[in-house]
Amino acid sequence: MGLTAALTRAAAARPRVLLVTTPGGTPVRLAAEKELRSRDWPSASTPAGADLMLVAGPDCSRLGPALERLWQDMPRPRVRVRAVTADEVASVLEAGRARLATPEGDRGGADRTAGEHGHGEPGKHDAESVRADHAKDDRGFEGGAHARHHDDGPEASGHGGEHAGHGGTGHGDGDDDHARHGHDGHGHTGHGHGHGGMEMPGGLAMAEPGEDRDGLTLDRLHVPLGPFLADWPAGLTLRVVLQGDVVQRADLDDPPAGGPADPFWSRPWLRATTGEPVCVGEAARRRAAAHLDSLGRLLSVAGWPAEAVTARRLRDDLLEEAPASAILPRAERFTRRVGRSRTLYWLTRGVGLLSAADARAASVTGPAVRAAGGDVPARYRQWLTEVMDAVRQLDATAPLNPVAQESPRGRWDAERPPSAALVKLLPRLLVGAELGAARLVVASLDPDPDELTACRLEVARG
Amino acid sequence: MGTTSTVLLWVLGVLALVGGVLVFTLNSMARVTFALLGSLVCVGGVVTVLRLPYLGVVIVLMMVMEMVIMAVFMIAYMMNPAGLMPMSMLHNKRGSLVISGLVFAALVVGIFLVPWPDRTGARLEDTTFQVGMSLMGDQMLTMVTLGFVLLATMVGATVLATRRGRYDRFGDDLDQRPANDSAGGGVGR
Amino acid sequence: MAEAGTWWALPAAPAMLLVFAVLAVAADAALDARNAGRRITAHTAVRPLLAVPRALLAQPRRLPAPDRLLWRAGVITVPVAAVLATLVIPFGNRVVADLSVGVVWFNAMEVLTWAGLWLAGWGPNAAFSLVGGYRFLALGLAYELPLMFALISAATGAESLRVTDIVGAQHGLWYAVWMPFAFVLYLAGVLAFSFLGPFAYPLGRDVADGVLGETSGVDRLLLQAGRWLWLAAGAAMAVPLFLGGGAGPGLPAWAWSLVKTLLVLAVLVWTLRRLPMLRADRYVELAWVVLLPLSVLQALVPALVSLTR
Repeated sequence: MGLTAALTRAAAARPRVLLVTTPGGTPVRLAAEKELRSRDWPSASTPAGADLMLVAGPDCSRLGPALERLWQDMPRPRVRVRAVTADEVASVLEAGRARLATPEGDRGGADRTAGEHGHGEPGKHDAESVRADHAKDDRGFEGGAHARHHDDGPEASGHGGEHAGHGGTGHGDGDDDHARHGHDGHGHTGHGHGHGGMEMPGGLAMAEPGEDRDGLTLDRLHVPLGPFLADWPAGLTLRVVLQGDVVQRADLDDPPAGGPADPFWSRPWLRATTGEPVCVGEAARRRAAAHLDSLGRLLSVAGWPAEAVTARRLRDDLLEEAPASAILPRAERFTRRVGRSRTLYWLTRGVGLLSAADARAASVTGPAVRAAGGDVPARYRQWLTEVMDAVRQLDATAPLNPVAQESPRGRWDAERPPSAALVKLLPRLLVGAELGAARLVVASLDPDPDELTACRLEVARG
Repeated sequence: MGTTSTVLLWVLGVLALVGGVLVFTLNSMARVTFALLGSLVCVGGVVTVLRLPYLGVVIVLMMVMEMVIMAVFMIAYMMNPAGLMPMSMLHNKRGSLVISGLVFAALVVGIFLVPWPDRTGARLEDTTFQVGMSLMGDQMLTMVTLGFVLLATMVGATVLATRRGRYDRFGDDLDQRPANDSAGGGVGR
Repeated sequence: MAEAGTWWALPAAPAMLLVFAVLAVAADAALDARNAGRRITAHTAVRPLLAVPRALLAQPRRLPAPDRLLWRAGVITVPVAAVLATLVIPFGNRVVADLSVGVVWFNAMEVLTWAGLWLAGWGPNAAFSLVGGYRFLALGLAYELPLMFALISAATGAESLRVTDIVGAQHGLWYAVWMPFAFVLYLAGVLAFSFLGPFAYPLGRDVADGVLGETSGVDRLLLQAGRWLWLAAGAAMAVPLFLGGGAGPGLPAWAWSLVKTLLVLAVLVWTLRRLPMLRADRYVELAWVVLLPLSVLQALVPALVSLTR
């Protein structure tokens, strides 16, 4: 017992965190990423590799089931916490760590009920108190739900037949059956094996074959990308049909129904349109930070974690009002290293081709249109150029003209936010791309779902 | 041959046989492939114990690569989804039984009919050099021919299996650069 | 020159491999900390080892219809193959098993990771995990042949497959000096078979950690340990193959082996963070169209030298 306790304490000193951002949770995510980095708590890509699940951002009932699945996929010992505002991130993480350091047995049933209450049915809460309740309750962690999970055999009913309805990190239960099938070719059409009423192990259903890009008849694999994939626009869900690892079809899920969005990255423009005085320097700071955030995501997806960290540090320093003199040399070094990397260029060139004419036709504005050449390297180099331009303007005090000067993702228009056009482009660009390339395409356009709608408290109320 | 070698030889031999039986009794394509791999690794061990370490280790090396690649293809080109769906690995039972029986009988008869040579001279510690000489010395022409035949077979099979030809890639006058491919390669051709 | 088979060499070899692997992890953690702007202390460097108690505590995964047997077999194969590969690596004047076909043995053990990683991707029966497993095969087809020719170059130079003979044949002139391309290809191969850094393709962040994505607990620990053990084994093998083994002035042989291994390991760990992840759809063509012919030419050099000797 003493040994287990000691091990538990040691393990909790560096928990791996599954950071899940809900739409509208960008500021919380930024605070959390910074906190995790300074604490040296690694960020996990999947629930299997995580000890602590941090839900960053406002509550969103539509994404509740996806969150629940992620939570159920986490192996014990595990803790789930929620931070609704950026300020509470540090304390919430600390509380989570403290819970992890307590041996299982001592946690007992008390927090089970608390957890059940906390994350089970957000709808029960009075809208006004949702925020406070969640901040409290979700620190109660373990739901009764996972106890049941352990009793489940592989034939758990919850796993069966649920193919399309998966959120999570693409490894959700129902998808697993497709996993294999996607790679099971049906080259021989002569064999008359009916797939119909066959009983599959685990109660999983068969995948169906279809023509693939190269003229083979391979099984189709239905995998949702998002809403909570690592390094993915939070809340965006793309349902892709894979054959092998090539995307054959991609469909956008409807964005969460919602009211007026309050996107973090476009906030200066939003305020300027309502007549508030905003100076150019502030907007430039926000734009540089937004592009660095996108770059960090792109570099992470491209498998260059070291430079992704550099981008995110720069971003965080910008948002903390670091002076231009401190930022400029570092930004230059980063731009040089990434922009001139031949390897990165070689790996990404020709991926996600989008000509300027096509982009304009899809009413895209912003860096995606300006990127000459229109492939992934053109877009990240455009970001880098704009970061440098913006960093040079940090001290400009002229008032911001929200029409003349673009928000990070394009000309700000509350009715038709720039990300809407970017998102619409995705299905077309993804078809025929290999999975890794598809991730690069999404990361290189980096639409901000916060601009589309957000699961906001006002919405929950209405 | 010492006691250790004899014991090893028996153990590996039996394990190779067990692996071979499993190939026909397991009902998952992936497991069958790796049962076959296990069996072949044991054969590699047997060859090593028989003092042909080079051939033995190379058998292990090549068989791992081949079986893993084979697993990919077996699973990719099967009429029935792979390891998930239990399936029988037996086809044409009667015919294959007859063929395998005949082959087995022929091999056993061969053991007794071949005039095995007697040992002349002492046993060498390192046989790798001898293996190399006997393969690449007198039989050099055979090996070179075999090598080219194998290469030609592989290239030919790939060309026949590919639907797209150079006219699809480079246009009717073969002057279109870069090639019209669904995914770009690393050298930009 | 090498003495084989003192009884303590057998447990010592894996123990040293583990020490090298831990040093590599610590160095990587220190570089991480510097990059992230944290203070670098001895404590920072060993923090990744906290993964060990965590792995011992975590419960194993429950997934619908996994192939548990094959999954477990794959996960265990990776670190075990790394340990088996070190049996033929001389350290100073000592080697556990001075096989006459040591180079081929090392190569065969390395190829076992193909099977191990594919099985680890197949076992959990999950989409991204399986994509990761297949990715390693695609990468394997690209890196393996150039790596084999790099090994063969060294063996041809010494006219022997015995690793200690290769060390002995480098009197005065290291193979790294007159076969630099083979040396570079070998180092790239080391990163590839330890699937780290630029070769982390089967465990890419873009497929949610791929092969590693569904593992937890001890399974995860074994796979991660396997990566770093392979990095250490590859660095240790570079010394006898290309850097003259324990030969050097002044210091005893074991000290030279130690210094050279640590240097190679440092270069490898430094390289990990300098390059983005190589995707197989790009790398395969480069490997077959450019690297493979060059590696054949490189192998031709020692062959011609041996003929004229």
